[in-house]
Amino acid sequence: MKKWKILFAAVLLTMVLSACSGGSADGASDDGGDPDAITAWAWDPLFNIAALELAEEQYVQEAGDFQLDIIDNAQKDIVQKLNTGLSSGTMNGMPNIVLIEDYRAQSFLQAYPDAFYDMSEHVNIDDFAEYKKAPTSFDGKQYGIPFDTGVTGLYLRTDYLEEAGYTPEDLTNITWDEYIEIGKDITEKTGKKMISLNPNDPDHLRHMIQTAGTWFTDEDGETVNMAGNEAVGEALRVFKTMLDEDIAHTNSDWSSRIAAFNSGDIVSVATGNWMTPSVKAEESQSGNWTVVPIPRLSVDGAVNASNVGGSSFYVLNIPGKEQAAEFLASTFGSDTALYQDLVTEIGAIGTYLPALEGEAFNQEDEFFAGQNINADFVKWMMEIPNVNYGMHTYASTDILIGELQNYRSGKALEEVLEDAQKQAEAQLN
Amino acid sequence: MNKLKSIFTYGILSIAAIVSLFPFAWMLISMTNKSSDISQGRLLPGSNLLENLRNLFESYNVGSALFNSFFIAIVATVLCLVVSSLAGYGFEIYRSKGKDIVFNILLLSMMIPFAALMVPLFRLFGDVSQVFPAFGIDTLYAVILPYVSTAFFIFFFRQNTKMFTKDLIEAGRIDGLSEIGIFFRIYMPSMKNTFAAAGIISFMNNWNNFLWPLVILQSPDVQTIPLLISNLGSGYSPDFGIIYTAIVIGTIPTALIFFFLQKYFVEGMTGSVKG
Repeated sequence: MKKWKILFAAVLLTMVLSACSGGSADGASDDGGDPDAITAWAWDPLFNIAALELAEEQYVQEAGDFQLDIIDNAQKDIVQKLNTGLSSGTMNGMPNIVLIEDYRAQSFLQAYPDAFYDMSEHVNIDDFAEYKKAPTSFDGKQYGIPFDTGVTGLYLRTDYLEEAGYTPEDLTNITWDEYIEIGKDITEKTGKKMISLNPNDPDHLRHMIQTAGTWFTDEDGETVNMAGNEAVGEALRVFKTMLDEDIAHTNSDWSSRIAAFNSGDIVSVATGNWMTPSVKAEESQSGNWTVVPIPRLSVDGAVNASNVGGSSFYVLNIPGKEQAAEFLASTFGSDTALYQDLVTEIGAIGTYLPALEGEAFNQEDEFFAGQNINADFVKWMMEIPNVNYGMHTYASTDILIGELQNYRSGKALEEVLEDAQKQAEAQLN
Repeated sequence: MNKLKSIFTYGILSIAAIVSLFPFAWMLISMTNKSSDISQGRLLPGSNLLENLRNLFESYNVGSALFNSFFIAIVATVLCLVVSSLAGYGFEIYRSKGKDIVFNILLLSMMIPFAALMVPLFRLFGDVSQVFPAFGIDTLYAVILPYVSTAFFIFFFRQNTKMFTKDLIEAGRIDGLSEIGIFFRIYMPSMKNTFAAAGIISFMNNWNNFLWPLVILQSPDVQTIPLLISNLGSGYSPDFGIIYTAIVIGTIPTALIFFFLQKYFVEGMTGSVKG
C-alpha cells in the first residue's frame, strides 16, 4: 500500500524537521551558565501564582533585568514531578523555584538534601512566625522561604446563631466538646447542620491535633506517636461524635464542601484562612458571617489557635540558584510593601513578622459585618503551637482515616490508636 | 411469559444504559452551568456555556494543548502500528529458535506497572537530553518514544496474524513480491480491521495518557489536554464550569474517532479477516 508508505514517511519527516527546529527552543535548565529566565512551579492561579507575579513585578522595578517563568501545576502533580525527577537523579527539567506544602516539605528535604539550595545566608528565619521553622529547615540549615499561613478560624453564620439565641462570644475560645453541645442546640432550633465534614478528609483531624501542640510523630519527625497519644485520641473522638450526633452535614469532595456553606445549609466552617475567598464568593450572605478562634481539644495545654495547610518556597540546586535565591530573599524574604499588596490584592496573609501590621491589617471587611479579620488572623497566628510535621503526615493521616471507619463501627478507641500505631510502624520504618 | 422476559431484559438494559450514560450527560449539562450551580448539583442545562468557553479560551492556551495532544496521539499511533505490526507479523510468520523465549520475555514486560518504569525512563531521557536535546525531557518526542513499541500491541498483532491466511504469502512469493512487499501489499490491506482496532486503542491511550507526559513535560507550550485539565483544578476555589468545558473538548476527538471506526473496531476485536 503506497498510502501507508507515504504516511509513514511523512510522519518521520515531520519528526526530524520539527526536532531540528525545536532544538534551540529549550535550554532554560540545561547545564552550564546562568539561564535566561528563572522558572517557578506553583499551584492556584488566584493565590500562589498571583503572589509570585506580584513579587516579580516589584522585583523588576528594583533590580531591572529579570524574567520569571511561572508554571501552573496542580499541587499533587508538582509532588509527582518532583519525586520522579529528584529520585532519578537528573535535575534536567527541574524548576529553579518550587512551592511545597509545609506538611510535605520534610519528606523532600530529608530524602534529597543535596537537591535543595541552602538559603541560610539569604533569609533570617527568626523574622518569620515561629511555627514555620520546623517544616522549612533541616539539619541546621534553612531551606525554605516561608510563604502563606494556614492559620485557622471558626467562620460563623451570625444570623443562624441569633435565631437560636447565641452570640459569637458564646463560641469564642471554647473546646470542641462545648462546640458540640452548642451545635446540638442550634441544629435543633434552626434545622441547620452545625458543620460540614468529609469522613475521608483529614484536614479537621490535623488542625484539631495541632491545637494541643503534638503530631502523629515525635519531635524527631520519624518516631510514630499515635498509641496513647491523648490529642490524637481526642480528635478522633470529637470527629466521631460530630458525625454520630447528627450535627454534621457530610460532604464527599471539595466542591460539595464549598457548596455546603455557599448554599446556606450550615452554621459554621472550621478551617484555614485561605477559605475566606470561597466564603465570600456567595455575596448574598454578606454581613452574616464572623470569624472567631478555632475551638481547642479538651487536653492540657491546648490553645485556641491552629494551622491547616500553608506552604513555602524552595530553591533547587541547579544553575540559576543564586538568582532565584536573590529574588526570593528580596521579595518574600524582606519586602514589607509586597506583603501589604498580597493582603489587599489577593487576600494572602504571609508569615513575615515585620510585615504583619500597617494599612492592610486595619481594614474592616463589610462581608464580615465590619470585622477586621486580617488583624484577627494575625493575632491567632502568633499563638499557633510549633510542631514538627516530620516525614509522614500524609501517610499517618491516611491510616487514621481508615481506622476512623473501624472506630465508628464500634472498635474501642484505645485499640484503634494501637492498631494505627502498628500499621504506621510497619509502613513507615 | 416471553413478554415478561423481554420486559425484564429491557428493564435491566435500561438501568445499565442510564448508569453508563448519566455521567456523560451530566458532563454535557455542567458545561453550560456556572461553577456554583455545578457544585450544588444542578441537573438542568444553564445559559453559561459561552461564558465558560470564553473564560477557558481566554485564560488557557487550549489551542496549543489540542495541537500537542493531536500531534502526540497521531504520530505515536502511526509509528506504533507500523512497528508493532511488523514485530507481530514477524513473530508469527517466520521461524527462529529463540522466538518463543523472546516472545515470553516480551509478554513478561507487560506485568511491570508503568509507575515502576517511570524513574529509570526519566533518567534515560535525562541522558538523551544531553546528547539530543530535541528528543529529551520537555519535548513531545519524549512522550511518544516509549509508546512506539509496546508488548501489548505486538501481542495483539501476533494473535490476529494467526488468523491470516498463510497461502496468501506463498502466492505473493510466487508472484515475485519481496518479503516487505508482501507485508505492505498483502498483509496490511487484508488486516484492515485489526489495524483499525489497534489504531483506536493506541490513539485513545496516547490521547488520555497522563502520568508520563506529566513528569516529562515541563513548559506550558508543550502541555497536553489531560495536563491542562489537571491544572484547571489546581486552585483552592476551582471554576467547575471551565473544568467541565475542557473535559468535553478533550472527550470529543476520542468519541468521534470511535464512532467513525466502530465497525472496524468490533470486527477487529472479534478477529475476522477479510481474505
